[in-house]
Amino acid sequence: MDFARFNQLSHLLLNDEFVLSYSGYVSEDILKAVGDTLRERLTSHVDNSNQIRNIFSIFVELMQNIIRYGDDGPQPAMKDSMQKPSFGIVLVSQSKGHLSVMAGNYVTDDEAEMLMGRINALATSSDEELRQMYRDKLREPVEATSKGASLGLIEIARRASLPLTCEAIKDSSGHNLFMIKATV
Amino acid sequence: MSSFSQKATARTPEILLDADAGTLVLSGESYPEDVTAFYNTLSDAIIAFFDSSESAFDVSIKLTYFNSSSARSLMELLDLLDNAAGQGRQVSVQWYCDAEDDITREFAQDISSDVTNVTVTICDLEMPDAS
Repeated sequence: MDFARFNQLSHLLLNDEFVLSYSGYVSEDILKAVGDTLRERLTSHVDNSNQIRNIFSIFVELMQNIIRYGDDGPQPAMKDSMQKPSFGIVLVSQSKGHLSVMAGNYVTDDEAEMLMGRINALATSSDEELRQMYRDKLREPVEATSKGASLGLIEIARRASLPLTCEAIKDSSGHNLFMIKATV
Repeated sequence: MSSFSQKATARTPEILLDADAGTLVLSGESYPEDVTAFYNTLSDAIIAFFDSSESAFDVSIKLTYFNSSSARSLMELLDLLDNAAGQGRQVSVQWYCDAEDDITREFAQDISSDVTNVTVTICDLEMPDAS
């Protein structure tokens, strides 16, 4: 990366009041490290402890989704190629009293379609419907393909105070970046 | 007697099972890296207690945060307790929730209404400062 691109990136990231952003390889260790930093920064930024709890909870579920789901992105493969690389970007920002968490990661076309369908269904559900969905999902056997993610998505929808939004954008090399946003 | 204890980590709660007193306290945060391993350890300890003692069992759940994978394991924990109660064991559960955390309270209510032999009492959790 040269300074011109670095400058562009800085303008994007430093323009608004950001609480935190992370991009790169995502693992359980990184979830823990970034999560601890996020909590510290939220505690000094935000008075509402319930808002902090909801943001932290959404962050954990989104990071775990990045770890579980995902396809190779434009990044080179890991040295330890036994493990599927999980690359992603997560950004927690603050605007007019609202906090939002955005997460992006590379997924297959099928995963993108499945995730968009699930999230749009959650976004149009009432609190009571989400509560019932969560309850039903708990009692369902964990599907091999879902790897537990759908319970996590319902959790995110319940903790968010605005409907979830999402989008998948394919870059010129055919990689699909799936993006989701939850606001509290 | 088969008491069991395991210290809390940043991502797993403390387990305190006192076989003499017939009590289990689960306190802290739960978003383990390996959720199955953690909750298997817990259920093994409970089963060992059931095998070694006939006494009543009083469970306190004091979790300030748990993720959705832990939620599933907590439901299974409650099922385990419910089965024991169904076989004649006296079991009570106190579930402590932060007064402001509606989602957790609703979760505790919902999984409690799915069990038939155990009565779950939902109580207010005193939150530690700045955690």
